[in-house]
Amino acid sequence: MFKKLIAESTAKSPWLFHINAGSCNGCDIELVSVLTPRYDAERLGFKLTGTPRHADIVVVTGPVTKQSLPRVLRAISQVPEPRCIVTMGSCPQSGNVFKGSYSVAGPLSKYVHVDVDVAGCAPKPEAVIDGLALATKILKEKREQM
Amino acid sequence: MDFPFVKEAISQLFSKSSCAMYPAVPSEAAPHYRGRIVYHPDRCIACGMCERVCAGGAISRTIEKTEEGDRVTLSFNLGSCTFCSHCADFCTHKAIELTGDYHMVATREEDLIVTGSFIKKPPVKKAAPAAGQAKPAEAAPACAVAPREDGKPVSDPSRCVYCTLCAKKCPAGAIEVDRANKTWKLDDEKCVGCGTCAEACPKKCILM
Repeated sequence: MFKKLIAESTAKSPWLFHINAGSCNGCDIELVSVLTPRYDAERLGFKLTGTPRHADIVVVTGPVTKQSLPRVLRAISQVPEPRCIVTMGSCPQSGNVFKGSYSVAGPLSKYVHVDVDVAGCAPKPEAVIDGLALATKILKEKREQM
Repeated sequence: MDFPFVKEAISQLFSKSSCAMYPAVPSEAAPHYRGRIVYHPDRCIACGMCERVCAGGAISRTIEKTEEGDRVTLSFNLGSCTFCSHCADFCTHKAIELTGDYHMVATREEDLIVTGSFIKKPPVKKAAPAAGQAKPAEAAPACAVAPREDGKPVSDPSRCVYCTLCAKKCPAGAIEVDRANKTWKLDDEKCVGCGTCAEACPKKCILM
């Protein structure tokens, strides 16, 4: 009975972990506006956590620079399964205007499986909420498969 | 005892939330918001200017030879786009449009690519009369030249200073200007008739 209760409540409240992989700060600001009272994603259960070990959804911003790549992979490997990786903005998907730079190691999909892409530069908070809602759905499917 | 904030606190309890209740209450993007790209292949002339000005390298153009003509396909990768609207601003035929649609969420990268294609027919080659018309214009360079019927540019040699700006701006590389010999040559097959050269000309001596 407790297991069922825990499963139901974890499905309704996925915790986020945010990784800045060399972002210009535009997407980070938009993610903050999603979580703060104007768009208040916490009313939908999303909560920002300070450690990857508590997270269900990983939000990555930035083109994944060579400096940040080992840290990004280390942080993602600490997130327990089932996890869902969301790329926010154009940078982690393709490198955007930074692609081809000597210091960029991205896109992120070269290294880990990316579940949801939220396009935009930077995406609107509404689009981020849509992306997180989709991530929750994927997370639920992954939990059922386990 | 004084409770200065009791009135404020109680009124806030019963007032409407300042939060945007997004998924329940749909929200429209602000006017002039630059969101998902819509491409109109029927207006495009395949000049390649959008591809040239794109900072993120999101636009790619492929040309396939078919029986009816060249099949031109443009694809816009929204996952690589900065939504700067440069492509739409530089498009002389308004074939690219940035809409207010911001719902760009996908689980596969292919879903974020907007494509469109059209068949570009080869230019109809005119017979002898057209060539005959062109000759008198060449013979009398002092007078202003007449604009061509097929919408391609023609330079007025009496005003042209051979600055080569038109050749530099031409996205198709169809114009060849020789400053030493004072010649202005147009490659009809390469030219797409976008009008960028006429816009760039400081002397306004190119007629479309």
